[in-house]
Amino acid sequence: MTNKYYEFFCPVKVIAGKAALEHIPYELAGLAAKRPMIITDKGVRAAGLLDPVVAACEESGLEIVSIYDDVPPDSSTSVVRDIAGVYRSEKCDSIIAIGGGSAIDTGKAVNILVSEGGDDIAKYSGAGILKHPLKPFFVVPTTAGTGSEVTAVAVITDEAKGVKLPFTSSFLLPNAAVIDPRMTLTLPPHITAATAMDALTHATEAFTCMAKNPLSDAYATAAVKKVSNALLAVMDNPKDSDGRLELAQASTMAGIAFSNSMVGLVHSLGHATGAVCHLPHGLCMSLYLPYVLEFNLESIREPLGELLLYLEGPEVYATTPASRRAEASISAIRKLRDQLYKRCQLPRTLKETGKVEESQLDHIAEVALDDGSIMFNPREVSLEDARAILRRAWA
Amino acid sequence: MLAKRIQPMVFQARRMYVELMFQVMGRALQAVSEVDNTVKEESRVLPEGFLFEMMVMPDGPSMVVEHTGLGRFRYHGNSAPRPVDLSIQFKHIAHAFLVLSFQEKTSVAFANDRMLVDGDISYAVRMTRVLNRLESFILPKLIAERAVKEYPQNLHLPEKLVSAARIYLKVATNFVETVRA
Ligand SMILES: [Fe+2]
Repeated sequence: MTNKYYEFFCPVKVIAGKAALEHIPYELAGLAAKRPMIITDKGVRAAGLLDPVVAACEESGLEIVSIYDDVPPDSSTSVVRDIAGVYRSEKCDSIIAIGGGSAIDTGKAVNILVSEGGDDIAKYSGAGILKHPLKPFFVVPTTAGTGSEVTAVAVITDEAKGVKLPFTSSFLLPNAAVIDPRMTLTLPPHITAATAMDALTHATEAFTCMAKNPLSDAYATAAVKKVSNALLAVMDNPKDSDGRLELAQASTMAGIAFSNSMVGLVHSLGHATGAVCHLPHGLCMSLYLPYVLEFNLESIREPLGELLLYLEGPEVYATTPASRRAEASISAIRKLRDQLYKRCQLPRTLKETGKVEESQLDHIAEVALDDGSIMFNPREVSLEDARAILRRAWA
Repeated sequence: MLAKRIQPMVFQARRMYVELMFQVMGRALQAVSEVDNTVKEESRVLPEGFLFEMMVMPDGPSMVVEHTGLGRFRYHGNSAPRPVDLSIQFKHIAHAFLVLSFQEKTSVAFANDRMLVDGDISYAVRMTRVLNRLESFILPKLIAERAVKEYPQNLHLPEKLVSAARIYLKVATNFVETVRA
C-alpha cells in the first residue's frame, strides 16, 4: 500500500534487571537532580517496596526529601494539588513515582503542576497543551501490566465535576523507567494474572489493530512471547525472579507497542465495564480478549495467525495449517485463561465475576461506543455488535 | 518559497479541492442530519450549540458545523462564531487531500497520525461515525467503500439513491442560498 505511513516514538531510558534500583542515584545525578520526592500508595509502602529504593539512594548519599504515600486507586485533582504543594514547600527538584497505574499517572500530573506552575491541573487537560520539558521524572512500576511507564498519557479524576481529565503530551514520558524484579516479587497471584493479561492484550491489540506498524510489531510479538513463556511458571512459583523480570519487561514492551499503535475494542469494552461495574482493568481485558478477537477474526486473520508462533512456539506453529492459525491463536488464549482460572480463579466470563448484572450489558455497550480506542478497532462496531459480544462474554 | 515556484498549479489546485470538499461536507452534514435517523441518533447526545471544526494546520482551509439540538447540524462556513468544542486538525494539506479525495479512510488517517483531535475524545468518536455515514451517503458505493471502514449493511440501494438525491438537492439549495445571501 503506497499510503502506508506511521510514527514511532519512545524516548524513555529503560533501566532493567538485577539491582536496577541501585542505578537511580547515578541517573538522577546525570540530570542534576538532588532532591527527589517519592510518590506512591499505601499498598506499596505496606509491601515494603519503598525500603530497597530508599536504601539504594541513601547508600549513594542521595537524600529522599519527601515521601507522599497516600495516592488513592483513582487519583484526583485535589490529590495532585496537595502533592504539588508538598513538593514546593520541601523544595524538591525531581519525582520518583513508585506503584501501578494510579501512582504513575499522579506522578505525571504532579510533574505538570510543579514544572508549569499554578494549582489547577484541569487547565492543562487535553492534547498538546504542554510546550516545554518537565522536571526529572523516574517511574518504578510495581505491577507488570499497565505499561504506564512508557505512555504519554495520564488520567486524573476531577471530583468536583465528576469527570475524568485526560492529559496527553510526550513531555509526560518519564526520563527513565526502572524495572527491577524485586518490585513485582510479592504481587498476589490474581493481580499477577490480571495485569499480565492486560500486557498480553496491549500486545495483541497493538499487533492486530489499525495503527499497527513494523516497529511496534517487533515490541508486540516479543511481549506476547514473554508473557506466554513466563506467566504460568510465575503463577506456580511466585518467587521466580527471572520469570518476574520477564513479565515486567513484557509489560514495558507491550506498553511501547500500544502507545505507538493504539488499542481497540477489548479496551473500549474494558474501559466501559470499569466505569459501569468497577471491575479491575486487567480482569476486563482477560474477559473480553477472545470474544473480541472472534468478532474481528476475518479482518485480522493474517496478523492473528502470525501471533500463534509467539503464543505456542515454533512446533505448534509449524504443524498448524496456515488457514487455521488465527483460530489456534484464539484457542491458545482461551487455554491460558483456563489455566489462570485453575490457579487463581481469574474469571473467564462476566457471570463468573459475580459483580456484573446481565441487565447492565446494554449500558456497558453504549458507554463502550463512546470510547476513543474503538476508532482503531479493525472492524466497525455498531451498538448491536457490542451487545452481541457482551452477551457471548456473559456466560 | 522555493516549492511555490516549482509546482504552483498543483498546490493551488489541491488547496482549492480541499476548500471545496470542506464546503460540500459541511453542507452535506447539515442536509444528512435533517433526513437520516442514524446520524440524528448518533449526534443527539452532543450538547446543543456544540461546535465541530475540521481544519488544516496551521491556518489552512476549514469547515465548522454547529449541533443545534435533536441531532441536527448547521453549517457555518469556514469560521466559527466562538471557540470550537471539538477540532479535528490535519497536520498538512497533503494529508487532508488524501482523505478528502478518498485515497485514505478517515479511520486510517487517524491511525496513521495524519490528524489530531482537540477536544473530548468520545465526541470525536461520534463525529467520526457521523462522517463515515455521511461519506457512504454522498459517494458512489465503490468510492465509499474505500473511504469508510465498513460500508453500512443497512444502507440499501433504493434508500441510498433516494437519500442521496435528497441530500444532493439540499446541498444544491444551500449553495444557491449562500450565493444569494
Ligand atoms: Fe490496558
